[in-house]
Amino acid sequence: MATRTITEGVGIARRRRLEETYVGEWLMTTDHKKIGIMYITTAFFFFLAGGVEALLVRTQLAVPNGKVLTPEIYNQVFTMHGTTMIFLFVMPMLTGLGNYVVPMMIGARDMAFPRMNAFGFWVVLFGGLFLTSSFLFGAAPNAGWFSYAPLTEQTQICGPTAVVCTPGANMDFWALGILMLGISSIAASINFVVTILKLRAPGMTINRMPMFTWMTLVTAFLLLFALPSVTAASILLLLDRHLGTHFFQAGFGGDPLLWQHLFWSFGHPEVYILILPAFGIISEVLPVFSRKPLFGYTFIAWSGVAIGFLSFTVWAHHMFAVGLPLVAQAFFATSTTLIAIPTAVKIFNWVATVYGGKISFKAPMLFALGFIAMFLIGGLNGIALAVVPFDYQVTDTYFVVSHLHYVLFGGTAFGVFAGLYYWLPKMTGKLFNERLAQVHFWLMLIGVNLTFFPMHILGLLGMPRRIYTYPDNLGWNELNLMATIGAFIIAISIMVFLWNFVIALRSGQAAGTDPWDAYTLEWDTDTPPKPYNFPVVPIVRSRRPFYDKKNPEIADWKSVTH
Amino acid sequence: MSEEPGQRKQAPKKQRGSTEAVEQALLRDKKSYWPFALAVALFITLLGVVTHPIVFGVGLALIAAAIIGWGLEHR
Repeated sequence: MATRTITEGVGIARRRRLEETYVGEWLMTTDHKKIGIMYITTAFFFFLAGGVEALLVRTQLAVPNGKVLTPEIYNQVFTMHGTTMIFLFVMPMLTGLGNYVVPMMIGARDMAFPRMNAFGFWVVLFGGLFLTSSFLFGAAPNAGWFSYAPLTEQTQICGPTAVVCTPGANMDFWALGILMLGISSIAASINFVVTILKLRAPGMTINRMPMFTWMTLVTAFLLLFALPSVTAASILLLLDRHLGTHFFQAGFGGDPLLWQHLFWSFGHPEVYILILPAFGIISEVLPVFSRKPLFGYTFIAWSGVAIGFLSFTVWAHHMFAVGLPLVAQAFFATSTTLIAIPTAVKIFNWVATVYGGKISFKAPMLFALGFIAMFLIGGLNGIALAVVPFDYQVTDTYFVVSHLHYVLFGGTAFGVFAGLYYWLPKMTGKLFNERLAQVHFWLMLIGVNLTFFPMHILGLLGMPRRIYTYPDNLGWNELNLMATIGAFIIAISIMVFLWNFVIALRSGQAAGTDPWDAYTLEWDTDTPPKPYNFPVVPIVRSRRPFYDKKNPEIADWKSVTH
Repeated sequence: MSEEPGQRKQAPKKQRGSTEAVEQALLRDKKSYWPFALAVALFITLLGVVTHPIVFGVGLALIAAAIIGWGLEHR
């Protein structure tokens, strides 16, 4: 009898299967929203890691003759800062936001390939851990985020003291890590393309898609066409390093410039891969907080496509100083200047969207407006760099560092925070404290300008990028100190964001399903949304389907044909 | 009346068409640990490239196992 009782007890309290546990649920999930949240969390973790690396670099450079880091560690830290921020923060963050939002925006119940979607995320996580684990081996990548050959070669001799360039595993970590992350990006891109082209709700024509979906689609195509060149370059580099080939070694008939061509034919489209989804976020936020439809929808969408095409024609503007033929310099200077046209089209349309609107300066709107201002500075100093004689003067100086940070931090990071403040209430069900969010915004705006604006002047004064330290008689001291103070202000602003996030999760005001009175379908779901998003697949009749549903008397489809 | 082992309990008719029923129908069999397993295998393989050939070999074997497992997974 006793035996029977025990058996029955075991039967009732059976061990839960892995998929039924909390951890198992996340490990095994293929739900696009959970995967999106995991992408965003992972990306934010790496953002903090990359931020600490940035603070280390700025602390080293705060005063002349600094010795906070050793030269070797300094090389590793600035290389990992760039690599982390680009490949492990911005790309996964934008993929995460896309994962969470895009299927709901187009009225789909999931991504087209849910398992491949999960695989893409796990590869990002483990690819990031692989790259970061290089610190544990004392061999973090150390040749800059674009890893120029022959500096990255294992057997080449570098510099006047004839040392071997990169004998350790440092660049193996970089090349293998980039290969791994490339697999993830390809998986995510194929998924986005098929999802957007094949799983749209009835009536959601291409011409009615939300702008964030448009930009995600363009970005996915860019990744599919840009990644093969850096993948090939990484494999060739590994072959050079370990199997005795000489693709990039001039002494053996190879060509070090081949690396630059291969890298930048990925690297410049990559800049647009990092900024186009942010353009999409801004194009979602501005209309909602101006209480107007997006001005110039068609122009904004197709200027994104134009930027995508043009981004493949500008790569050698990174190489003006290597001695390109004059005709090549003229071509790449022209194409680089040309790309300013579709970019300006977007900016004018955003301004027109806001103009005359009933503007609400909530946190997403503040970051969206901050994005426009900061990105404009980054765009204008980028055009300056397209002027070849000027580029000769400032190439590889802090002017370039200033430009890329105005674009990627002033631009993309502001866009990301606009998106987080906009969509996190949907994800978490909680509203942020608006006052803390405003403190975050103003601190970050001040910090960004204090950090990166002086770098223009440092570049014009001739301070080379990646320099380990500098003597005290070059006129760089005060500007470097300002930049370092600015970097710490940015760090404080990020702490404020984190604090605000914790407070929101603990005791934030309930967000409801539609806290911003928004226009697009992701807000026509529960908060947080159910796993299947929509109990009934919506039917779309205009570019603002949720607005139509809330305002049937004045619905867009009654007055506008598109 | 006792249930035969392995026999599935049928959902009551009134649940059909409800939100929960839709949810169950949409989510059934979608979960998978093979994407996670394949990513771990890839990580171990790459770690093997920079550390030791044995780790590399283990990683390759795990990649093969994960791909086969993923391919044979019941959907």
